[in-house]
Amino acid sequence: MTNQEIKELLQIFEESGVAEMEVQRGENRLRLRRAPTTQELEAPVAAPPPPPAHAPAPAAAAAKTAPADANHTLIKSPIVGTYYDAPSPGAPPFVKIGDTVEPGQVLCIIESMKLMNEIEAEMAGTLVHKLVENGRPVEYGEALFAIRPR
Amino acid sequence: MFKKILIANRGEIALRIICACKDLGIRTVAVYSEADRHSLHTRFADEAICIGPAKSARSYLDIPSVISAAEITNAEAVHPGYGFLSENADFAEVCETSHLTFIGPRPEVIRRMGLKQEARTAMDQAGVPILPGSKGVLSSVEEALELAEGIGYPVMMKASAGGGGRGMRVVRSAEELPHLMAQAQNEAAAAFSNGDMYMEKLVENPRHIEFQILADNHGNVEVLGERECSIQRRHQKLIEESPSVAVTPELRKRISESLRVALKAIGYTNAGTVEFLMDAAGNLYFIEVNARIQVEHPVTEMVTGIDLVKSQIRIAAGESLSEILPFPLDKFIALRGHALECRINADSTVLL
Repeated sequence: MTNQEIKELLQIFEESGVAEMEVQRGENRLRLRRAPTTQELEAPVAAPPPPPAHAPAPAAAAAKTAPADANHTLIKSPIVGTYYDAPSPGAPPFVKIGDTVEPGQVLCIIESMKLMNEIEAEMAGTLVHKLVENGRPVEYGEALFAIRPR
Repeated sequence: MFKKILIANRGEIALRIICACKDLGIRTVAVYSEADRHSLHTRFADEAICIGPAKSARSYLDIPSVISAAEITNAEAVHPGYGFLSENADFAEVCETSHLTFIGPRPEVIRRMGLKQEARTAMDQAGVPILPGSKGVLSSVEEALELAEGIGYPVMMKASAGGGGRGMRVVRSAEELPHLMAQAQNEAAAAFSNGDMYMEKLVENPRHIEFQILADNHGNVEVLGERECSIQRRHQKLIEESPSVAVTPELRKRISESLRVALKAIGYTNAGTVEFLMDAAGNLYFIEVNARIQVEHPVTEMVTGIDLVKSQIRIAAGESLSEILPFPLDKFIALRGHALECRINADSTVLL
């Protein structure tokens, strides 16, 4: 198949409006498929990769178990470190489930290389889930809180 | 021996290190960027930690993220692989202060080997042949002109902090030296914030020969023969082989002996590669030390039967070379057979 032939096939495909087309010429086979439209995207597009042969690390697993509620916004960890939900051991936690939070309000601390990093709320809303246990390690991008925005 | 090692890398070398750890009964922690979540190394390691977004500057090159990942997983040592943080002396230093064993040379040695002129001086003092050139950093154009006269044109002007061909100029006559030196200096100052220059004789159509070394924390150094990588393209090695057909047993013995002295004097530990150029007459001249495991290390493993990555880990854990190597120290290692490694390039992609 020459590039010219492929271009012609692409044109035929474009004009036809069919979703998928397969052409075989000699040993060459060309399959053309239209990208799914947004409505079709509701179903998962890519199959998830097969699970690893052994149990994944707890930290890695937790990130994927965050509840997927479309009405909630997840606050994710911007760094790798250890999660603390209170300013000091024994002190009351920064936030409890059901609390109203404001932008800039401190939600937790993540300790990284002995530095205490305060993680703040990015929007106003109600705290609906605390996803990490006090003192547990978190990785980059791991969901920490779910907030129902106001 | 370590119970758990964090691998601060991805791809082929991360898998290579995981295999070595499995053989040694060590648990592994992979780190990955959001783009590599489903990469093989994250699945073969015992644990995997996401350390940042796709951009490597904010993940694989981000020292606090890598160290934090080691801390939260209780890893005892970090293997940097090649590329990324492997020759970053600051990273090796942060590992040390964070009570993590960096699997590689000590930070001050990495730093010294990164400054080419320093490495050159250290080798020269130990009797390793170096290319005729300046003894240290050039102080003036006049000094450069006088030196070049003695060495004989053509000469190569090189940036002390250089790499990747930047801050380098071939000078073929005295007339063109002043402006070419200025050009190289400006380039080096812009690229490496260091305009220090040195000069070397230019070896035309050289062979590239590199010696693999292993050194333990007890002052023992062994040289595991050489690799030849003369066949290059766009400054990238295409074929690596061991042994080199151009290195005679006598030459191998002589260079190995001088390298043992030199690396011991430098205080070098763990694995490393010492690169040489060979001229048409078969003389070897030192050019630089790569303070890391190299991509092409399996070529040496094939002809020596020694697992270099496992050796790196065992050395870092404090084992002596006499425990690691299957032959007595100071006996020259027998190279068996001949091994070749080829780089396969995807040269041009056809746009449909």
